[in-house]
Amino acid sequence: MGNKGKSLVVVQLSGGNDYLNTVVPYGDDEYYDFRKTVHIEQNKVLPIDKVYGFSPHLAPIKRLYDQGKVAVINGIGYDNPNRSHFRSMDIWHTAQPDEIGTEGWLGKVIRDLDPNAENVLTGVNFGRGLPRALGVRGVPVASVGNLDTYGLFPDIKDESAKKLALDAFAHMYGGVQGKDPVLNFLGQTGMDALKGADILRTAPQKYSSAIEYAANPIAQGMKSIAQVMLADFGTRVFYTQHGSFDTHSGEILTHAKLWDEVSGAVGDFYDDMQEHGREDEVVVMIFSEFGRRIKDNGSGTDHGSGGVAFIIGGEVKGGMYGQYPSIKEADHLEGDLHFNNDFRSTYSTIVEKWFGLDPVPIVNGHFEQFDFVNA
Amino acid sequence: MVITNTISIRYLKTIGIVNNGFNGRGFANPYDVAIGPEGNIFVLNRCDPARRNAIRVGVCNLDEEYLYEFGYGFGDGDGQMMLPVAMVFDAMGRLLITDEHTNRITIYSDEGEVLGKWGHKGESEGEFNGPAGIGTDSSGTVYICDQRNHRVQKYTADGRFLAQWGSQGTGPGEFNLPWGLGLDAEDNVYVADWRNDRVQKFDSNGHHLKTIGDSAVEEEQLIRPSAVSIDENGNIYVADWGNERLQVFNSEGEVIASLRGEATLSDWAKDFFESNPDEMETREISDLTPDVPDHLNNPYHISSQTEPFFWGPVSVRIDGNNRLYVVESNRHRIQIYEIE
Amino acid sequence: MSQDVSLMAHLMRRAGFGATRNELDEYLSDGYETTVDKLLDPGESNHMPDDLIRRYHVDQSELRQLDCAGAYWLYRMLTTSNPLEEKLALFWHGLFATGYAKLNQARALLNQIDMFRQYGFGSFRDLLVELSRDPAMILWLDNNENHKEAINENYGRELLELFSMGIGNYSEDDIKECAKAFTGWTLKNAEYMSVRASKDSIWPYGRIAWHYEYRADDHDSGEKKFLGEVGNFNGEDIVDIIVTQEPTARFLSTRLFQYFASDEVDDDGVQVIKAMMDSYFESGFKVSAVLRTLFNSDYFKSEKCRYSRVKGPVESVVGTARLAGSYQEPTLDVHSLWAQTMFMGQGLLAPPTVEGWHEGVEWIDSGSLVERINFAAKELSDPTKDGVQDIIRRVTSGYRDFIHAENLVDSCLDFMGPIQVGANTREGLIEFAESQGNLQLKNGKTDQDGSAQVARLIGMIASTQEYQLA
Repeated sequence: MGNKGKSLVVVQLSGGNDYLNTVVPYGDDEYYDFRKTVHIEQNKVLPIDKVYGFSPHLAPIKRLYDQGKVAVINGIGYDNPNRSHFRSMDIWHTAQPDEIGTEGWLGKVIRDLDPNAENVLTGVNFGRGLPRALGVRGVPVASVGNLDTYGLFPDIKDESAKKLALDAFAHMYGGVQGKDPVLNFLGQTGMDALKGADILRTAPQKYSSAIEYAANPIAQGMKSIAQVMLADFGTRVFYTQHGSFDTHSGEILTHAKLWDEVSGAVGDFYDDMQEHGREDEVVVMIFSEFGRRIKDNGSGTDHGSGGVAFIIGGEVKGGMYGQYPSIKEADHLEGDLHFNNDFRSTYSTIVEKWFGLDPVPIVNGHFEQFDFVNA
Repeated sequence: MVITNTISIRYLKTIGIVNNGFNGRGFANPYDVAIGPEGNIFVLNRCDPARRNAIRVGVCNLDEEYLYEFGYGFGDGDGQMMLPVAMVFDAMGRLLITDEHTNRITIYSDEGEVLGKWGHKGESEGEFNGPAGIGTDSSGTVYICDQRNHRVQKYTADGRFLAQWGSQGTGPGEFNLPWGLGLDAEDNVYVADWRNDRVQKFDSNGHHLKTIGDSAVEEEQLIRPSAVSIDENGNIYVADWGNERLQVFNSEGEVIASLRGEATLSDWAKDFFESNPDEMETREISDLTPDVPDHLNNPYHISSQTEPFFWGPVSVRIDGNNRLYVVESNRHRIQIYEIE
Repeated sequence: MSQDVSLMAHLMRRAGFGATRNELDEYLSDGYETTVDKLLDPGESNHMPDDLIRRYHVDQSELRQLDCAGAYWLYRMLTTSNPLEEKLALFWHGLFATGYAKLNQARALLNQIDMFRQYGFGSFRDLLVELSRDPAMILWLDNNENHKEAINENYGRELLELFSMGIGNYSEDDIKECAKAFTGWTLKNAEYMSVRASKDSIWPYGRIAWHYEYRADDHDSGEKKFLGEVGNFNGEDIVDIIVTQEPTARFLSTRLFQYFASDEVDDDGVQVIKAMMDSYFESGFKVSAVLRTLFNSDYFKSEKCRYSRVKGPVESVVGTARLAGSYQEPTLDVHSLWAQTMFMGQGLLAPPTVEGWHEGVEWIDSGSLVERINFAAKELSDPTKDGVQDIIRRVTSGYRDFIHAENLVDSCLDFMGPIQVGANTREGLIEFAESQGNLQLKNGKTDQDGSAQVARLIGMIASTQEYQLA
């Protein structure tokens, strides 16, 4: 189902990324008026044009932007912005701003890509616990904390002891079950988990690359994604996250470090894909649950609305999309940037143009699409 | 020493704002305060491992300029902290910090350079099980409450063991999980004997001199006192943690003042409201000192709903200018008073 | 005797978080019905003292964030001497599901849990009145937006649909009239507190806890017609009417049955529910009376009822940690324990919606099952834990030189529960035990390697399908 051989990597920036210090309106004096303390100096910005430029900590992304591989979605958001982390993240995950949704948009994508749940690895999350975006009942998604130890009994370090434990597990869960449907279901689920783990754990062994990823968690997460992708298990949707971008204080230092890590990881990932001739088969989407206040608080910035997303890949048509919101006082939305495109437009574009699926049931409605990716 | 029966304590200001686990301005569950040789205010942020970047010492001044920070946790490497409890500047201007998880005392310069450390887990001489309150006397001798060994230990300025006293119990000279420690001008040692609901006074050799806090007299009752400091007149300031208040006793142990807290907005808080006017508008029509219903009518719950009140007063310290600093772990701020 | 042990273990898996053999021995000395009575009338509980928690865990003193509050409640579950008090509070938490995500106020949620402890065994009428006054519930279901001039039906609707009668037993008009009766039921400083909640604001000085406020000037005191009755009803009057309805008795009894007895209701279950409904009315709506009828029923005691529920994640985590004897003193690890409940799909204090969690077999998917097994196996295969050592001591008692694999398996199953497993599971366990060789003893005791060997088997038992059931 959907276009084969195409996959999506979602990188969630948790905590609310500060848009103004990511894509910086360095040519607009008002930016420096509102951001007396928490700004990026003009001479450090990596210019896109005379007004806007990337933070120097997005250098690897700027490099890809210059190659035409990065779509910057400016002013992304939704009506009646919610400035609570949990709720706003839920909205992005379920694509339902107006009521509490129960199904994740990517879970629905996975269901449509693999309607009979034939491949337990169609969706893989890197991190513990399942983000709501991937959660749909009956859709299996593997959540991988650590690819090397993924699966059952990660705490048994001795290989032969672990094998004994896994053998016993397979005996117990895989044996002939009685009439009890609950025990049967548990047995089946346990065997599925065992199978999925057996497959996934082979990924690092199959992998070789000249790229050396950094030691931080997001770089290691992107490396694991590269390993699984290159192992060709048929995984179509990857998910990972990094944070916390909730920079109420000491923003300059923290934001710089976080973006150094994210952009380095994404840059390395792209290069890795290129090394293996696979950069045209993957799209990376980077998003955050909200942007931050226009005016700083003397040390950091507080919860706001209106943000930026990035779409990166070999088949991406690079450039600036959406509109960079005005930062003039009169144009503020309750002290924040005014969003001008619904995040579900970006979702719809990916779902339809990239995956070839019907976006309407997935994003819960019709939304005008961008043209940032080759179909 | 003069025995006073009255005292005037005037509220000066509040410094602080919550820091949710990040670098930079603000406090994260502060546990102690110390005034440096230059008059700067050093704040020990205990925080917690889930928000580890904020485990550190933050330095600011009375004008509320946030200057610098050091000692990033969470870890047991040199200069790192895990569960820091208390700190004090010694006579040489060095900052000594206790950590109840690593069972170490680390000595820092006032710029955060690590100058030395001592201690490890155990119950013998020179070992710790949860070092907590710390103080130094006029000669540089260091006194430390060894919480889970229920004793006070005495060291040279460089960490050589000198003496110890106390064991678990409720009698004079016995302790139950002691926390804060303070010294007066005559080098007497005061211990917040936390789980015995009292403060004990000793001479510098550990002879018991006096017990403060009487559960039979309501106003002299202390519940789980966390810290104690003594002013130049011998008055005793006790952070009455379980009652969420500050009790002041004269040298005879009689209560001469009781404070519940009256925090106002710090400059950092004002900055916040300037960029968040939506919150200020609704704040202005609110009653921040409400009457609470009966089932929540105890000091903890009252403080949780009454923003100006002390909530989690964990340390009280007095500087050379008779300014009194009350550290509130649960409100991430320091209320400063002047003793007149 | 062993039948008594099995039955008591069954009761404690349901009315508590399982029990160690030491605990079972104590309960057995009281006997079944006395134990039920004691569980239902718990009095003051022993648990880890608050002051120790607050001094050690500064974050749990403040309770600013969800993770801290979750860990705080887990301590109570882990150390309480009144397990049913917590188990029932967890039931109410799932039924009256109030979630952190919208409130951003952990203290208010814990105050709600305290309210469940205080009112959870008593009259359902009092509980519903307190629930309607609960500040977390008020904000969760927008009753702070339910005004005399402009009603918001959210609380009124869910009170009837999800909290008391169930859909199909009232009209849309009844919902409106119900909502009207609860106008003016709000929280102190509602405007400021709701702005802070909506922005997850902790500034400047951390969170400010909430309490209930009744605004008489915002209450619609006019005449209302509700479920056929007419009057100038206020919220209490509405609850008085609700609790006398048969659908309410059925709804409450059924939910309690599914939580405490069996995920599925069969014909015999229907009869038990009928008896529970009778107790509800005879006792003046007392929850403890309804539960007593359930626990003392033949159905509950029968073999059929055993292992007929899938353990919830919190139940599973707490039960395992209690069996291992962990967390009896404050320790930083408690934080990861809360995270575990999240990974397994039941973030304590964070139900996904007002409908609570989907329970029973829906707890299980491959990701959550792996989390469960890995957690339980790690916790229980650690021979340094007090609880594990106790099981090892009991298992080896009566032996001198060695224990055969088969005996070792049966003995471990006995002292970990007793836990009943199917033939295939038992074979797998024996095969595993055999791969480790006979357990060698010296003068009836295990050495370090021997203890580790038993602990590995205990961990493997915690990995079985049967261990996932209560």
